[in-house]
Amino acid sequence: MQLVSTEFFIFLPIVVVINFIIPRKFKYIWLLITSLFFYASIDVKSAAVLIVSIALSYGFGLWIEKSKQKNAAGKASVKVLAFAIAVHIAVLIACKYLNFIEKTFLSLSGRLEDAVNLNLIATLGISFYMLKIIGYLIDVYRGDLIAEKNPLKFGLYVSFFPQITQGPIERAKNMLPQFNFPLTVDYDMLRDGLLEVIWGYFLKLVVADRLAIFVNNVYMYPDEAVGFTTLVATLFYTFEIYTDFAGYSHIAIGISRILGIEVMDNFNCPYLASSIAGFWRRWHISLSTWLRDYLYIPLGGNRKGTARKYLNIMIVFAVSGLWHGANWTFVAWGLLHGLFQVTGYVLKPVRDFCVNVFKVERHAFSHRALKIMVTFLLVNFAWVFFRATSISQALLIIKNSFVFTPWMLADGSLFKHGLDNADFFVAIVGLIIVIVTDIVSYNGFVIRERILKQGIWIRYVIGIAAIVAILIFGIWGPGYDSAAFIYQQF
Amino acid sequence: MKKTLINILKSIIFLLLLGLAILAAIVILKRKDSDYKYTDFFNEAKKDNIDVLFMGSSHVINAINPVFLFEDYGITSYNMGGHGAMLQATYWELKEALEYCTPKWVVVDAYMLEKNIRYLDNREEFDDEDEVNTAVEQLHLNMDAWPLNDLKREAIDDLIQRKSVKNEFLYEFIIYHNRWKYLNENDFKTITGTAERNHLFGAEMRYDVELEPEQHPDVTEADLLTEDTVGTEYLEKIIELCQDKGINVVTTFIPFAAGVKDKAAAIRAGEISEMYDVPYINMLEEDVIDVNTDLNDRSHLNVVGAKKVSDYMGQWLSDTGDLTDHRGDDRYAYWQQCVEDFNEELDDVLFTEDNLYIKLDLLCLEDYNFVLYVNDGSPVFLDDYLKRMVIKSSMTNKIDTTTGPYILVKDNSHDKMYEASEGDSLSGMSTALGTLNYQPVEHYFRLLYSDEDQDTNYLYDDIHYLEDIQLIIYDEDGEILEHDYYKSNGTNYVR
Repeated sequence: MQLVSTEFFIFLPIVVVINFIIPRKFKYIWLLITSLFFYASIDVKSAAVLIVSIALSYGFGLWIEKSKQKNAAGKASVKVLAFAIAVHIAVLIACKYLNFIEKTFLSLSGRLEDAVNLNLIATLGISFYMLKIIGYLIDVYRGDLIAEKNPLKFGLYVSFFPQITQGPIERAKNMLPQFNFPLTVDYDMLRDGLLEVIWGYFLKLVVADRLAIFVNNVYMYPDEAVGFTTLVATLFYTFEIYTDFAGYSHIAIGISRILGIEVMDNFNCPYLASSIAGFWRRWHISLSTWLRDYLYIPLGGNRKGTARKYLNIMIVFAVSGLWHGANWTFVAWGLLHGLFQVTGYVLKPVRDFCVNVFKVERHAFSHRALKIMVTFLLVNFAWVFFRATSISQALLIIKNSFVFTPWMLADGSLFKHGLDNADFFVAIVGLIIVIVTDIVSYNGFVIRERILKQGIWIRYVIGIAAIVAILIFGIWGPGYDSAAFIYQQF
Repeated sequence: MKKTLINILKSIIFLLLLGLAILAAIVILKRKDSDYKYTDFFNEAKKDNIDVLFMGSSHVINAINPVFLFEDYGITSYNMGGHGAMLQATYWELKEALEYCTPKWVVVDAYMLEKNIRYLDNREEFDDEDEVNTAVEQLHLNMDAWPLNDLKREAIDDLIQRKSVKNEFLYEFIIYHNRWKYLNENDFKTITGTAERNHLFGAEMRYDVELEPEQHPDVTEADLLTEDTVGTEYLEKIIELCQDKGINVVTTFIPFAAGVKDKAAAIRAGEISEMYDVPYINMLEEDVIDVNTDLNDRSHLNVVGAKKVSDYMGQWLSDTGDLTDHRGDDRYAYWQQCVEDFNEELDDVLFTEDNLYIKLDLLCLEDYNFVLYVNDGSPVFLDDYLKRMVIKSSMTNKIDTTTGPYILVKDNSHDKMYEASEGDSLSGMSTALGTLNYQPVEHYFRLLYSDEDQDTNYLYDDIHYLEDIQLIIYDEDGEILEHDYYKSNGTNYVR
């Protein structure tokens, strides 16, 4: 059962209704049961890994807590923490990175064909819940949090089903207290949560999955899309990854709210950032703040000199890249972002000089727009490495993007890559809605809240139209193509 | 508490409205092909107006035209044939149909009896992926119209193996939700119940002519279908179902350019029918159609073939079936209306058709009178296919023995046929145009005039003197409905 599946649409109302009925002090038990059921429905073996991880980290948390009591100064044992983190990273490597390590070594010796599957088990969402666990252990070590004694509540923190597969990577400090005192879901919270869920499904099904058809086609057959078509594909991917990931986050946040749990925002108009650092304050916020709090700052942050700061940035982004996927393309993507940031810092005096010489008004719309555009293009460039299956494919896509074929925008070439003109039109309309929503949201205008303030019939019309539009225009099911007279598996 | 109740009420209203909106979307987006075929079935079955059900595959769809049966025999029937329908699909189609009506006769065609495919979505049982897609897709045409109930679930469980594909049949919105880009006026008319529907009571007529039907050898002992197949199993089930319900059943094998396997299947169908003491009509062995002119393609009959097979079955049912002739009964006015509509459609097809082969074939079907003139030296005299069409009308081999000029006057109004070639003249031809006389003069000039109007030469026109073929179609009142000139470019005849 995935967040986008028929089974889930049966499962969710049952969970919500029972969660609404049962007494507050028992809600966490119900949510834990449903979370484990949800995860086991995806893969039982992965659920076993999850339960082992929960048991280990629960024990380690208590152990770290206990080590404080043994220490005269009340400090927790760093050795215990290091051991606990090492164990969890070992589990993560065993499940996700052994093949990557093997292939890296084999490719160095030219024996890639000898590669065998070494990953113990493909576990969905392990990268997400491992960060939650490690963050929890560090919080306990630092004394920011007392180790949770109730194993069920801790288990729920790690396995909470709206977040388990794609985050947000919520902090234990935020989640655990809510399990003790969950909010009573009232009508307003329900409406607000549902609207957020609907928006999430719109982003995912109508926009992201539609753009993915075009992008996948171009990346699969790069030689058939040389020129502006490839450029359009790179732009589409930039929005695909945003609407896909943000869509999931909105669904997770909305469902959590319906269940009485408030979860941190994960995206905040990232493509309107005017710098790469600003982009990371708006993109996958739960990850970037995790990396800041649990990696960048412990590495010394910017407190140990400029060179060390730049090195720390590069380390953090390399780790971030590797966390996203077991492939050098992800590392390249992370390093590119690190490089963008470091270069930005290095060139800051030059930029300041230019601003002074040309008397640029820093707050002028034109200047801000230029910065947003440059940032967007840099991010767009880096996404090519994220999407490509190899560095060489990424370089080919970049090369193809720079072939000057503007006529492709008008001669129908764009409609030959999985999206016909009708679907292309819907994709563009979807993108316009996303961009406009982000722009108004950037200016402090929350559309969801405005909708909820409207009269009942307008709310009903918007709600019904949105759901029906998602059902009709969403990319789901086998699909129907009257021209081909066969079913198309998008 | 009051606030909670109001909120619950508001939620219920919202869900109801949402449900209505989704329902409307489901109805509008649904593919209408199946509804198109079966709307009149539901209408007529409700009125208990259906005496005969024709079951089978696309062979049946193209071979049996209930409009012909009503027009000529007063038999009310429905063509339930499904494109690509194997016998297990036909069985469930019949079960569904019998929920709505109890016909006096069920005619089941045994084409694909030899097929041993258990599930229509089992990729291992088909030669390639496209075949599976086609089988599943065609089953939608047969099944989509039936309402979702236990019988339909049972049918889908029996026909389809994979759960995901089953769901696509039970909850069609899964596949049709993205039909939005193909929506047209008809899709929205479904809401008001005015959508287009099949006025041939389930049949579909085809108008091409297969000029080179394959000829296959006869069945040898080694070719016989001896083992049981899914097809034989379900043919038996169909017969048993009818017999259990006290419905007369007759099995058929509709004619086409049959291969050895088909011929073997036809023999086996006869054995099964005999086992159940059921009449069997193997039209592969009967002289019902002319495979050289009555096929639309290798497997399917064209409208002329359909007329012959419908006539054959109409006569058989009239002789054997103890069926009431419903012609003239006001209760069946809609059927009469469909007859008239179809005849108009046939006229339209005839007069708009550019293809000379098809046009000549259609002239055999219609009662129109016509004159065909072919100038000497025309490539027609080297075209065996076209000569075959002419011979079909003339019933003589004259065109086969000449290099022209050639004239054929076929006057159905007077039940006369006149034919001449080379330097021969014709005089005193009794036709609806009058008493006609024909006289060849020179290559670009010939005479065809009536005694009543000697100034009109039907076969000469300054503008068209170079065209080597002329076709004049006229009605029983002597009014010329169409005068076509064709220029032969090889065997490509351009109007």
